[in-house]
Amino acid sequence: MNQTKKWKKWSGVLLTTAMALSLAACGGGGGQTAAGGGKAASTYPEKPIVITAPSGAGGGLDKTARSVAKVMSASKLVEKTITVENKPGGGQAVGLADFVTQDKKNNYKLLLPSTPIIINNLKKEGNSPHSYNDMTPLAQLTKDYGAIVVAAGSPYNNLKSLMDAIKADPTKVTVAGGSAPGSLDHLTFLMPAVKAGIDPKSVKYISYDGGGEAIAALLGGNADVLATDVSGAGEYVKSGKVKILGVSSPERLKGTFKDIPTYKEAGYDTELINWRGVFGPKDMTPDAVAYWEEKLKAMTQTAEWKAELETNGWDDGYKNGADFKTYLGDQEKMFKEILGLLNMAK
Amino acid sequence: MDAFHYLLNGFATALQWQNIIFAFVGVLIGTVVGVLPGIGPISGVALLIPVTASLTGGLPPEEAATSAIILLAGVYYGAMYGGSTTSILLNTPGESSSVVTVLDGYPMAKQGRAGVALAIAAIGSFVAGIVSLVGLVFLAEPLSDVALKLSPADEFSLMILGLCALSGLAGKSVTKALIMTVFGLLLATIGMDNVSGVARFTFDMPELYSGLEFLTIAVGVFALGEVFKTILERDANEGEIAKISRILPTKQDLKESAGPIIRGSLVGFFKGIVPGSGATLASFLAYLLEKKISKNPEKFGKGAIAGVAAPESANNAASGGAMIPLLTLGIPGTGTTAVLMGALIMYNVQPGPLLFDEHPTIAWGLIASMFIGNLMLLILNMPLVKVFAKLIETPPKYLIPMIVAISIFGVYAVRVSVFDLVLLLICGVVGYFLAKNDFPMAPLVLGLVLGPMIENNLRRALTTSNGDFSIFIEKPVSLVFLIIAVLWISVPLIMKMRGKKVVVNVEG
Repeated sequence: MNQTKKWKKWSGVLLTTAMALSLAACGGGGGQTAAGGGKAASTYPEKPIVITAPSGAGGGLDKTARSVAKVMSASKLVEKTITVENKPGGGQAVGLADFVTQDKKNNYKLLLPSTPIIINNLKKEGNSPHSYNDMTPLAQLTKDYGAIVVAAGSPYNNLKSLMDAIKADPTKVTVAGGSAPGSLDHLTFLMPAVKAGIDPKSVKYISYDGGGEAIAALLGGNADVLATDVSGAGEYVKSGKVKILGVSSPERLKGTFKDIPTYKEAGYDTELINWRGVFGPKDMTPDAVAYWEEKLKAMTQTAEWKAELETNGWDDGYKNGADFKTYLGDQEKMFKEILGLLNMAK
Repeated sequence: MDAFHYLLNGFATALQWQNIIFAFVGVLIGTVVGVLPGIGPISGVALLIPVTASLTGGLPPEEAATSAIILLAGVYYGAMYGGSTTSILLNTPGESSSVVTVLDGYPMAKQGRAGVALAIAAIGSFVAGIVSLVGLVFLAEPLSDVALKLSPADEFSLMILGLCALSGLAGKSVTKALIMTVFGLLLATIGMDNVSGVARFTFDMPELYSGLEFLTIAVGVFALGEVFKTILERDANEGEIAKISRILPTKQDLKESAGPIIRGSLVGFFKGIVPGSGATLASFLAYLLEKKISKNPEKFGKGAIAGVAAPESANNAASGGAMIPLLTLGIPGTGTTAVLMGALIMYNVQPGPLLFDEHPTIAWGLIASMFIGNLMLLILNMPLVKVFAKLIETPPKYLIPMIVAISIFGVYAVRVSVFDLVLLLICGVVGYFLAKNDFPMAPLVLGLVLGPMIENNLRRALTTSNGDFSIFIEKPVSLVFLIIAVLWISVPLIMKMRGKKVVVNVEG
């Protein structure tokens, strides 16, 4: 951080010198050079860019960040190298805290989080002090949905039979998820469970470090049910190792998931959308904000990006920075309400 | 045989000239990455992803993915070979998985047996690499199923076994070893709790959110501690340099290491398959096992060749074992395999249950290339042993600044944080005073590794059982681990008590 500050100071000095020189050159009747225009026409970016995925490698966030990096360079939209960094832990709280506190002014760092950063800021236990307001929303990229998954050999074939079994004896069914209690995976399961009349506190929920370890627990028989995102489960559905009982989307999904009922169709009137989006630091300079808003919009229109969405089973959820910010506000209100119902709000 | 047929096809892929070059570049960079502390396999592989992406840019997608993953995997297992070098020569672990190697590797070097230690590390790594590859080829599917079945309760009991085995790392006093273990476990609680997301002992310092970096502590207490000792206690033997008596191991050395290498390979391989454990723990377990079953356990810590052979085989086998859940299930068991998975995804190759059906060229090409790469590493490392071993003859006045420089560079490279450098220096000073008072360092670092794993698995197991502790004895695998743990502690005690009685009787 100090280095950036110093660099800024020096670049300021250099710029001033350059302008003074070019003024002097003008006075001498020489031709105006580009140096004077350096301030108006932004030279951003001048260095490689780092996108931080606040999760372990291999999960949905990491995949999205790597897809952005790949499409940006494949389509030549961004000439500078984009690298993806993983900062796992605390259900995105570690990555967020690090980004908000360490990189407040660093124009070359972006964060690619998802819905949990809102939930973390609202819940009582394990509260994360930082909110989306501590960053600059640049664009929403994708929409993903929650899924309730069981192993292929599981006795449960629909949501109702599962919910009935839990209602009858909640100590018999173990639900695994890749994030902490009270966070997205947990809510993915609890939202329909509450509608089914199950006491949310009686549900046995085990958190693992990321979706990968959680699906390992399901496949190994150490958990009966897995609450995860739809895109993370697709590969295992195709190979016939798991079945999805329900998805949290407002409408039926397409492709691999076309036969799976939504929560609403199964009789539980609730839905959950997990966005993924790109944020800059709070004090990002306006030229950098403008640069990324434009580039991210252009990226979402490329054929390469559409192919990425297709292969990963993500839904295009593009929103520009301003719309994204409004949406985040709405979502914050909604989660406050749900967590209040569950008695888990701050 | 089916697997054999596929493997032959894999060799056809791996032996294409560009893939041989990619494998060679990979293992070469891997060795360098392994030698330098700080740049671990994770950052090494991550740093090279963009480079390989542009190198393979001109190839068709399937071939590009094959070549890239061959190179990146080469960096991964290459690093396991290189990691031992600084552990043995400079008492500075190059990777966290080589931390335990310093315990006997450095004493060996001090006795002028650096060459032998390095050579055994390379040979052990090679054997382990081949063992884990054979396992990967023929047993991948059934083994990954077994590994998945391990429940949090089983994992917890295994960690408890690891903790009980810690007394085996004690120097002169078991009490002091236990103090250091608890100290390590306490340090491990610093940071954001992974289960609930609560910040513990962070005092609102964001540097502490992700906990204390394991390698920083290890390098601090081992390498810098030793440096301070050398500077502060310039005793009579200053200037006396360990002469290298021999580079290549004798027949006796090979005989003594054969068992540890095989056992280390097996321990490492199985630990590698279980997601979420990793090579560091494997190397510790292999070391503790050797010390336990050795006829001369008192030799350990003073330059026992088995103390180098076992952990170095284990960490290499673990890296091979970790490829199994990655390739067959799409579940990365370690940080580095997670990055490898990210690289595959960048090429639109999804590791997982469908990989061997959808992309046989990539999967089998990679496996075949690992055979070739391991052979390259052996050939590459044996002559290097001579070069590296000479390093130990450097007089302390040059060697000490070199160790300090490598330590600081390495620690800084992990997180690019000045905070870690301060922590490194503090650990160096603390390490010096602790070592001076006979507090062993190894239990401290192992406690640091085991802490979060024990805690998370305990909480998961108890959630499953609705808070009932009997789950640990109801699960058969867990019960077996616990029984071994109890025996581990009690058998020597009982034998000692009996031994004492005999002595008392004689005196009486």
